[in-house]
Amino acid sequence: MAYSDKVLDHYENPRNVGKFDDSDQSVGTGMVGAPACGDVMRLQIKVSDAGIIEDAKFKTYGCGSAIASSSLLTEWVKGRSLDEAKEIKNADIAEELALPPVKIHCSVLAEDAIKAAIADIKAKREAS
Amino acid sequence: MIEHKAVLDSCRQLEREGFELTYLEPSDTGVITADAVEKAIRPDTILVSLMHVNNEIGVINDIESIGKVTRENKVLFHVDAAQSTGKVVIDLETMQVDLMSLTAHKTYGPKGIGALFVRRKPRVRIVPQIHGGGHERGMRSGTLPTHQIVGMGEAFRLAHEEMEADNRRILSLRTRLLSGLEDMEEVYVNGALDARVAANLNISFNFVEGESLMMALRDLAVSSGSACTSASLEPSYVLRAIGRNDELAHSSLRITIGRFTTEEEIDYAVGKIREAVGKLRELSPLWDMYKDGVDLDQVQWAAH
Repeated sequence: MAYSDKVLDHYENPRNVGKFDDSDQSVGTGMVGAPACGDVMRLQIKVSDAGIIEDAKFKTYGCGSAIASSSLLTEWVKGRSLDEAKEIKNADIAEELALPPVKIHCSVLAEDAIKAAIADIKAKREAS
Repeated sequence: MIEHKAVLDSCRQLEREGFELTYLEPSDTGVITADAVEKAIRPDTILVSLMHVNNEIGVINDIESIGKVTRENKVLFHVDAAQSTGKVVIDLETMQVDLMSLTAHKTYGPKGIGALFVRRKPRVRIVPQIHGGGHERGMRSGTLPTHQIVGMGEAFRLAHEEMEADNRRILSLRTRLLSGLEDMEEVYVNGALDARVAANLNISFNFVEGESLMMALRDLAVSSGSACTSASLEPSYVLRAIGRNDELAHSSLRITIGRFTTEEEIDYAVGKIREAVGKLRELSPLWDMYKDGVDLDQVQWAAH
C-alpha cells in the first residue's frame, strides 16, 4: 500500500497528541467511532470565554488516514472561533491529505469529532 | 467457514446452482476435527472440501483422520493444499484424499501454475471445465505451459528435500519472534500454536489498529485482518470465526517467515514492532481508557 506523504508525516511527526482534563469547564470533548468499527477518535478543544479555540488535543485508534485526519483537524481549529470550526468540511480534510475514495470516511469521522467537541463545550456553557 | 475465498466463492456459486452446502465452524483453535466432519455428513453428501493449512492463521487440519471418515462414508474428499506444500508432509498413500489442489507460488515456484491431484484408485471422475481435444483423459483440454510445470516440479522437489531443515530453522525463528513480542501487555496469538505451521504468526496487539501498524512497519511485508486493509472494509472472517471480537481482528498482524528469512530480520522486526506498538498506543484513546481502568465493553460508543 502506498501511503501519501502527508498522511505519513502526521504519523511520523504527530502534533497535538494528548489529553485535557475533560472535567475542566473550558474543555469540550468529542469521542466518535467504535472499537468494533476499527475507528475511534477523541478530539478535545480548550475554549476561551470569548469562544476562541486556544488549544486542541487528539488521540485516535484507527488507520493512518484516520490518525492524519484527526491530527490535521487539531491544527486547523487552533485560533478559530467555535462557529468557524463548525464550518470545517470533511471534503477539505480529504483534499488536503489526498485521501483515496476508500478512506474518505476517515475525514467524515474527523468532522463528526469536532462537531461533537463543539456540542460538548456548548452544553457545558449552557449548564453553567 | 475459514476456507479461502477461492473455495467459499465457488461454494456460493454451487448454491446458486441448487446444491446444498453445510459450512463447518472451527473451534477457537481454528482446527476442524474429523469428529465435526463425521457429524455433519448427511446421507446425500457428495463432497467434503477442507483446507490442509489455513492461510491467515496457519493452523493444520488432520486430513489423514478426516480422510478415513470420508472414505468410510463413501464421500469424496477434496483438500486445498495451497499453503501446505513444503511445510507439512503430504503422503497421498496414507492420506485418503481424492482430490488435492496444489499451487507452485507459495513454495518458491513460479506464479500462474498449479495442479489438481485426481485419485485413480478408487476412481474419481471429474467433469472438464474447458472442452476441446480431450487431453488427460478428457479432464483438461488445452495446451499447458511446460516451462511453468517444470518450475513447479523443481520447486516441489526442492521443498521435499529441504522441508525438514527449513521447518526446524523457521520454527526457531518464529519462537524468537514470538518471545520478542509476547511480554508486551495485551498481546494475543490468534489460533492454536501447536497445530500450526512453523512459518505463521498471527498476533493481535490490543488498542492498536492493524493498518496504522502496517504503515508504521512499511518496510516489512506483513498483512492485517483489519477492516481498514480490505477493500470491503470488513474485518477478517477467519479471525471472527475463531471467536475473536472485532477489535482484536482489527488489531491483528500476520507475519510469515520463509526459507530466506534471517535472524537479523527477525530481530529488526521485533524492534520495529515494539516501537510501532508503543508509539501507536501513545496515540490511542482506547489504550488511555484501558490504563485508566475503564471497561471498554461498558462504554456507549457514538458510531455512525
